[in-house]
Amino acid sequence: MVPLVLYVLLASAMFTIGLYGLMTQRNGIKLMMCVEILLNSANINLVAFSSYLPNQNGQVFALFSIALAAAEAGVGFAILITLYRLYGTIELDNINSLRW
Amino acid sequence: MYSDYAYLIVALPILAFVLTIFLGWHLPKGGGFFTVLATFAGFILSFGILREIYPTNIIVHQSTHWFANFNVGILIDPLAIVMLLMVTFVCTMIHTYALGYMDGDPGLARYFAEAGLFTAAMLGLVYADNLLQLFIFWELVGLCSYLLIGFWYRKPSAASAAKKAFLVTRVGDVMFLAGIVLLYTNMMRIGLPEGTYVLQFQTIYDNLVNIPPDQLTWIALLLFGGAVGKSGQFPLHVWLPDAMEGPTTVSAMIHAATMVTAGVYLVARMFPLFYAAPHALTVVALIGAFTALFAATMGIVMFDIKRVLAYSTVSQLGYMMAGLGVGAAVGAGAVGVGMFHLIGHSFFKALLFLCAGSVIHAVGTNDMREMGGVLKSMKWTSLTMLAGSLTLVGFPLTTGFFSKEEIIVKAFEYGTLGNGWLPYIFVLVAVLLTAIYTFRLWFLTFDGEPRSDYHKHESPWVMLGPLVILALFALFMGVGLNVGQDENPFYTYVGNNFDHYGVDFEELAVVGGHQVVHEAEAHGESGESHGIFHTIIHLLPIVFGVGGILIAALFYSRWKRFDSSMITTERDPLRHLLLKRYYQNEIYTLWFAEKVVYGLSLLFNMIDLKVVDGTVNKISELLVGFGGSVRKLQTGMIQNYITAIVLGLAVLLILIQLTIMEVAI
Repeated sequence: MVPLVLYVLLASAMFTIGLYGLMTQRNGIKLMMCVEILLNSANINLVAFSSYLPNQNGQVFALFSIALAAAEAGVGFAILITLYRLYGTIELDNINSLRW
Repeated sequence: MYSDYAYLIVALPILAFVLTIFLGWHLPKGGGFFTVLATFAGFILSFGILREIYPTNIIVHQSTHWFANFNVGILIDPLAIVMLLMVTFVCTMIHTYALGYMDGDPGLARYFAEAGLFTAAMLGLVYADNLLQLFIFWELVGLCSYLLIGFWYRKPSAASAAKKAFLVTRVGDVMFLAGIVLLYTNMMRIGLPEGTYVLQFQTIYDNLVNIPPDQLTWIALLLFGGAVGKSGQFPLHVWLPDAMEGPTTVSAMIHAATMVTAGVYLVARMFPLFYAAPHALTVVALIGAFTALFAATMGIVMFDIKRVLAYSTVSQLGYMMAGLGVGAAVGAGAVGVGMFHLIGHSFFKALLFLCAGSVIHAVGTNDMREMGGVLKSMKWTSLTMLAGSLTLVGFPLTTGFFSKEEIIVKAFEYGTLGNGWLPYIFVLVAVLLTAIYTFRLWFLTFDGEPRSDYHKHESPWVMLGPLVILALFALFMGVGLNVGQDENPFYTYVGNNFDHYGVDFEELAVVGGHQVVHEAEAHGESGESHGIFHTIIHLLPIVFGVGGILIAALFYSRWKRFDSSMITTERDPLRHLLLKRYYQNEIYTLWFAEKVVYGLSLLFNMIDLKVVDGTVNKISELLVGFGGSVRKLQTGMIQNYITAIVLGLAVLLILIQLTIMEVAI
């Protein structure tokens, strides 16, 4: 059995990578991917703890989370497509017409 | 029964105002008959009320709560009823005359609307039962005078005269308001029972003894300041001659019935207050007498027929004030004396102005040098004007004779009682001057040969009718009241006005700290012990008056013996001084207004811009600048926000960790 700490370490690493990407990247699609990584790091934690405690709630929760992530990705990419049509780019730095 | 409808005396002219201002344009004569009828109805009502309260000892008092410790009410006592009768009667005459005089003016409806409001405001002022209500109508009178003086507002001189009248009287009004506030504060300090209406006249009269004397003096002086502005006393008289820019009927209204009498009425109304403050009364007497003389000297050199009359108004108002002022010596009877001159003056001054209007209407100029010989073409006008002039001079047996001589004799008694002879000398000399300028006017206008080519036609009867009625009153009212009676019933009726309120003048004299002089003593001193002397005092005004008429006749009539060039030349400094009206214009406008006031205004403007506005602007600039630099943080880029959130979270976690460790330790 894989020790719990390895799961947690994996989740932390994924979370950090996702966060780092979110803070440094400017491309809309990359950002979406980073958000997915963040969500999945949380999912890994949920599943890991759930299997170590004899309790199924965490896994059910992870399923919910995945469904939610799918919906979020759908909406997010739809927005990105619209932005691309409007501005011809998805570099978020250039999309600032509502800025002061 | 009539007194139940007393409120209609004001309500009807206001109704007429509303009707004429909205419907006048569609009605013949601008709806002027509304105003005439409303005013006349007021006269009928007033007369009915007089029949109810004269000579019995009742007064009409109706009052209703307004707010806090103020009320609105109607108070008709002897003082008010004579004013009501005079204002409604004289205004009816003037409005009737205006139907003819103003005919054809494009602003006719506006004229009658404003005239109706003017009348209503004055009537409301007269029968107000408290000082606050009086002040409100007082301001309304000021507003209407502004509107009417500037009636021909397209004419720059009329517009500026209206502005001048408004501003100068405003100086007085501010003092009046300050006086009311001071009086109110003092009344509140007394600790009146709950629910007392503080500014009601009855309350004021009752509590005069409780107010400190020095406060009383200040209150009286401030109230007198208001009267000075309204009644054109020195030094705030400058607006009155300029008020001639309005139509002649407006001048007649302002000078006779409505506006200028308000100041005298105020002093009469507050007479117990003045009586308790003898210093203020001395000021009243001196200013009044000085104004009487001062204005008369200027009347002598004017060539504008209306200006001569304007200065005579100022002068006669001075007489009224002096009449009230010398009351310090002769007691409450002074109110009767002053008021009798006021009433008589309203009749003959309205008459004189309306006559002058009739002449101007026919001749088409105000300048007496272009008139002359009007007698031939305008018999009625000339004769009524002669009646008015004789009354103004105080020719024996006219109304002016009875009223003016009484004031002069009172002023003499005032002198004998050791209060100074200045008022007496002033008013006596003014009699001579009055006679000279009045008959200079009459001879220059009506006598001699025409000096220019003017239309010779008599005015229509709608104008002459009021003239004749007013002339009859001017000539015979005095005789009617005086002959065959021991004492003029007017003096006793109005003079005892304050008995209705239980005002104890001896007590007030003690408060005022001046020597109590009983009327009996005063009469004893000047009456019986100096028999011959007394006769001389009574004869002197007549001699001066008739002498003045003769002088005027010798200089200006068809029996001319002298020419004015014999006593004065173009370079005569005195003549210059008079023609320039004592350089008042230079002092008031050029020096005071343009240098002092304008300079101060510039200074204050600077302070306002730099200090007051500067502070506010600086504060807002600081805030805007701070915001401007802070808003740079809001980049609009999500990454920056995320970074901030992560940093914040990190700091938070570290802090929590530290706290846990500390707790653990």
